[in-house]
Amino acid sequence: MKKTLTLLLALVMVLTMIAAANAEVPEWKPFEQNVTITVPVYDRSKVGYPAVDDNYWTQYIQKEFGDKYNITVKYVAIPRGDVMTKYSLLIAGEETPTIMMEYDYPKVAQWATDGAMQTIDLEAFAAVAPTYYGKMVENNQLGYTDINGETYFVLSERPYYNTTYTYATFVRMDWLRAVGYDHVPKSYEEQVDAINKIIAAGLTDQAPLGLGIPTSAYVQNFAYRDIPVDEAEWAQHSSLGTASLSWEPTKKLLKRLNSEYHMGWYSSEFDLEKDSKGAATDQAQTDFINGKTYRYGGYMSANVSWLTAFFENNPNAELAIESNYAVVDGEVVPDAQLRADNPFGMIVGFSSYATEDQLKAAWMLMEWMIQPENLFVLENGVEGVTYTMGENGLPVVVGDYTGTEMLNHNMNIDMTCLVHASKVVGTIEDSIAAITPQGLPQDFYQALLDNYNELAEIAAKGNAYSDPVFAVAIESESEYSASLLSLYQEAFAKLVKCDPAEFDALYEQLSQDYLDAGYQEIIDERLNAYEAGQTTKLPQR
Amino acid sequence: MAQKGVGRRDLRARKLQVYLKNNWQLYALLVIPIAFVIIFKYAAYPGMRIAFMNYKPAKGFDGSPWVGLETFEKVFKDKSFHTALRNSLVFNFLDLIVGFPVPIILALLLNELRFDRYKKVSQTILYLPHFLSWPIIASVMLTLFKPETGLVNVALMNLGIIDKGIPFLTEKWHWAVSYLLIGVWQNMGWGSIIYLAAITGIDGQLYEAATIDGAGRWRKIWNVTLPCIRGTMVTLLIMNLGRVMGSNFERLDAFGNVQVKDFQYQLAIYIYEKGLAGGNFSRATAVGLFQSLVGLILVLASDRVAKKLGEDGLL
Repeated sequence: MKKTLTLLLALVMVLTMIAAANAEVPEWKPFEQNVTITVPVYDRSKVGYPAVDDNYWTQYIQKEFGDKYNITVKYVAIPRGDVMTKYSLLIAGEETPTIMMEYDYPKVAQWATDGAMQTIDLEAFAAVAPTYYGKMVENNQLGYTDINGETYFVLSERPYYNTTYTYATFVRMDWLRAVGYDHVPKSYEEQVDAINKIIAAGLTDQAPLGLGIPTSAYVQNFAYRDIPVDEAEWAQHSSLGTASLSWEPTKKLLKRLNSEYHMGWYSSEFDLEKDSKGAATDQAQTDFINGKTYRYGGYMSANVSWLTAFFENNPNAELAIESNYAVVDGEVVPDAQLRADNPFGMIVGFSSYATEDQLKAAWMLMEWMIQPENLFVLENGVEGVTYTMGENGLPVVVGDYTGTEMLNHNMNIDMTCLVHASKVVGTIEDSIAAITPQGLPQDFYQALLDNYNELAEIAAKGNAYSDPVFAVAIESESEYSASLLSLYQEAFAKLVKCDPAEFDALYEQLSQDYLDAGYQEIIDERLNAYEAGQTTKLPQR
Repeated sequence: MAQKGVGRRDLRARKLQVYLKNNWQLYALLVIPIAFVIIFKYAAYPGMRIAFMNYKPAKGFDGSPWVGLETFEKVFKDKSFHTALRNSLVFNFLDLIVGFPVPIILALLLNELRFDRYKKVSQTILYLPHFLSWPIIASVMLTLFKPETGLVNVALMNLGIIDKGIPFLTEKWHWAVSYLLIGVWQNMGWGSIIYLAAITGIDGQLYEAATIDGAGRWRKIWNVTLPCIRGTMVTLLIMNLGRVMGSNFERLDAFGNVQVKDFQYQLAIYIYEKGLAGGNFSRATAVGLFQSLVGLILVLASDRVAKKLGEDGLL
């Protein structure tokens, strides 16, 4: 009885949503002459997945949307590890995709200021894509649409952006049990103790943790910052665009890595893991799958291939999700702090070459995709093939399906990111159930929910915040960021490996070189922008 | 007199007509490579003006402002450009010194082989590395030469020859030697083809005469083979000198790691990092143009020197 009631309730909810959405969809007439639009899609070079720019789902969009309105939708693959170069080449070749989108603000800001994007009229956008625009208003995103006083962007949704619950780090619970732990370490002291015991017990014949040269400028130093962090410092250094070498929290982070390196946690050859295009991660992943390392993390979805492979290779192993407090020692890291996501997913702009019709067609695609019934199909696939309806009336994705209708990486997220950054189903519990990996010997639903609750608790304390967003382009950043990343990679390896007694002096010297190589110019420019009120502010605590 | 002149001209024109009628296919064939060179080499030349502009792809040629030599000034003042230039010159000269004689020696050795099948098999094996891309070579070499888990170091340590792994690819001086030798290994087989072809073209009578004069193998190599392929050697040397300012991104990137950046940071890496990756096409073009100019000057100068020394030269 109860089951039937739940099912009925879910059905009513879905129907209401569809009805509500349908009511808002404008009636579009097909274009008289065919309009071609190009849409970027990340190519993550994932083995076992169909080509990202030509597969069942790109064809589905063409059939269900394109053919209906006389629009040709072409997808263009963008290598995930080399986004800027690929876009530069496309722009230089006058082949700029109609839609240009990225998760990082500095990148889109650069395209806008370089003239690769055109300014847009939000009212006109709202007329073509009312649902999309309505979501932007609802999510309070209108403050992010402008750069240098002109409107360029619309923004996709990022559900539960304050908690990065779709990402989880797994640790070897069976190893922890073997060294006397019945829980995952909840403090840095426990973590050090556990890992050193794992090494001493010889549970692996190699370094128990994976480490590689950073492949991006993102420095995970949130936990090492003052509470609360100084806002001006935050505006200067907190960024995905350029690594913050010379900032105190970065020093604390690297110093800790240095001490861990000297305790034998990382391979002495870690710096040989190829320093580009994410190959470092591949090695770390391979080691984890082979049962050689303690920890590995990634984004969750119904089908996480590395978890499946891990359990195939280590059928008797037990995994747990690492606590976000495992870095806290009360001194260097006073409390857990997190990088919350931006309150938006993709920042979407439009090519300066796009004609009025192309612009309209692109907006129509966005509006079409954001309709729940279309999004549902794109994220779940075909019933009975790629998903089945669960007892609660929610879809359960068939994780290991590899036929024609196979969903691409993370349930087609690189297509649906145009409208939101992660799949949402009903409540947060339902959403977590939807991204819980399927077909594994262990069920991680509860662990993922606990992880979410832990993250929410940290966020509630005001310890989860993102990076500043600048309303002006930071020119020096585009000039120096590529060469500074390479300098940071070099400094990273030196500082992690150096004699601990020499760390401070070396950090000073490398920081000075880094500042001289362009970082000083960047932080000066950012500070000016901050002082001129051209940045977002830290959230109120 | 005038009639005679006209008649001769007519005759010449008719001869040309006949010649063209008989041989037009050959000229038609020649059009293809000429068109190729024009389209893919010369047609790109106008694009070089972006070295003198603050070029933004989205603004195009018309929208980007002219800046004169500003980009060049910036580049020449840039410390990392000096490092990249120094490394490129040093490594390319070393590449030339180490790499140039090896294909010649190899060609001489192969030429001396009498057992035909063995010769062919060895040649094929020697050519093969040329067809492997640098990323493949680098990953194989890394697997072999890693300091602690590389096969070579593990073997040497197990045999008790060394206590600690040799950092073949992770310490800059060791890296320099490994980098150069791997370059030689990759290229020597392919490089020997031209010399082998030149050797095949040597008149057999010269060897017969030398044999009659009592020359042994060494003598014949020294007094017959080498002098006969001197022209080829000089031509290739001049061409290689033109590449001294060049820089192979694929090779450098594949062998790069953070420990050897001091030496690995060469012009190709500079162009990529400070030019292409940052979207600064003007800078990338300026450095590329500078490289080509210096390369051209080197080729012309060495051609002059070769001619003064009595060789045919290149031009």
